[in-house]
Amino acid sequence: MVKVYTIQSCPWCEKVKKYLASRGVNFTAFDVEKDAAARYACIKLTGMDGAVPVVTADDKTYVLDFDKEQIDKLLGI
Amino acid sequence: MAKQKVHKDVVIIGAGMAGLTAALYAGRMNLDVLVLENGIVGGQIANATDIENFPGFISVKGSDLIGTLQKQAENFGAVVDEFDSIVKVSLRENPKIVETEEKIYEADAVIIASGMNRRKLPLPEERKFASRGVHYCEFCDGFMYQDKIIAVMGGGNAAVDAASFLTKYGKKVYVIHRSEFRADEVSQRRIRQNPKIEIMLQTEIKALHGDKKLESVDILDKKSGEMKTLAVDGIFVNIGVEPNTALFKDELKLSPSGRIIAGEDCKTEIEGVFAAGDVREKEIRQLTTAASDGTTAALLAEKYLARLKEVV
Repeated sequence: MVKVYTIQSCPWCEKVKKYLASRGVNFTAFDVEKDAAARYACIKLTGMDGAVPVVTADDKTYVLDFDKEQIDKLLGI
Repeated sequence: MAKQKVHKDVVIIGAGMAGLTAALYAGRMNLDVLVLENGIVGGQIANATDIENFPGFISVKGSDLIGTLQKQAENFGAVVDEFDSIVKVSLRENPKIVETEEKIYEADAVIIASGMNRRKLPLPEERKFASRGVHYCEFCDGFMYQDKIIAVMGGGNAAVDAASFLTKYGKKVYVIHRSEFRADEVSQRRIRQNPKIEIMLQTEIKALHGDKKLESVDILDKKSGEMKTLAVDGIFVNIGVEPNTALFKDELKLSPSGRIIAGEDCKTEIEGVFAAGDVREKEIRQLTTAASDGTTAALLAEKYLARLKEVV
């Protein structure tokens, strides 16, 4: 499952979600500001508290920020 | 694989107020319009919380205003692509070439409305601490600094508003600026009354320190000449903006400040190429004048295209 860690006020988080949608990727978005378990999972993944947007497909590798090339590589799109 | 070639009547570079207004007008004139944006749709106002000087609104959020404008433009057929970045342009030929990572657009007219980017922190350590203590988007990265010590660098409205916003997260927010405030009185009063904010004017950040992430900054008190080290977890840089014209520097005349030289008719030195909004060299740069430029550029682009068809 593709996961996107975001916060509500972040325009780059919106851009990542719109990009994935435009490429037909099914994903679940988690708001780390409101969801403590998601925040913990995101910290565990990146080692950084609150750094978003983060995209992951395997909970091991991830892309931080809107980096189209890296997102495409990560998800094989 | 060779890139696909696509013809457009008008390619608009930038989806801020000027670019989207141009798209709305050009779309309404039945032109085939593409808007390319490689940052955030809305540009500098995308995150503005209370716009109180746009006619017709008592107060409006930047995202709402720009969202509505984008829908208006799209309703008239304009297409906004915010995922494909321009790699080069060739404006002196006809049609004009706008090459992106994915396609080659052949455009009869081009409207440049690429706006401004935030100026980077001019210190050699900037790269080391980028996203690890040095930030440019308080809305994106402020959440990283819950109960931490934050510094906002800058003295304009954007800096002062960023400081107010960041008090939502930080336990302490310094506002550090090398001279006096340029922010308006209302915004200044708001931060002066906030107990979490400490204002340090006539103060410069001279160096950044930290191992893997930012831990402290050296600051110079310009009045006393005293240097000291301040423990800071994150800096949000708001020291102004610079025109986004790197793509055009070999094609168009730029002013000493790096903006495109074009008259009030938005016409550049190249026929069929227009500059609109903050990227154009002009005295007044407001949201309303960006909308005005977008209107002018689109209407005159349509006239140019009509003449072009007559010649053919």
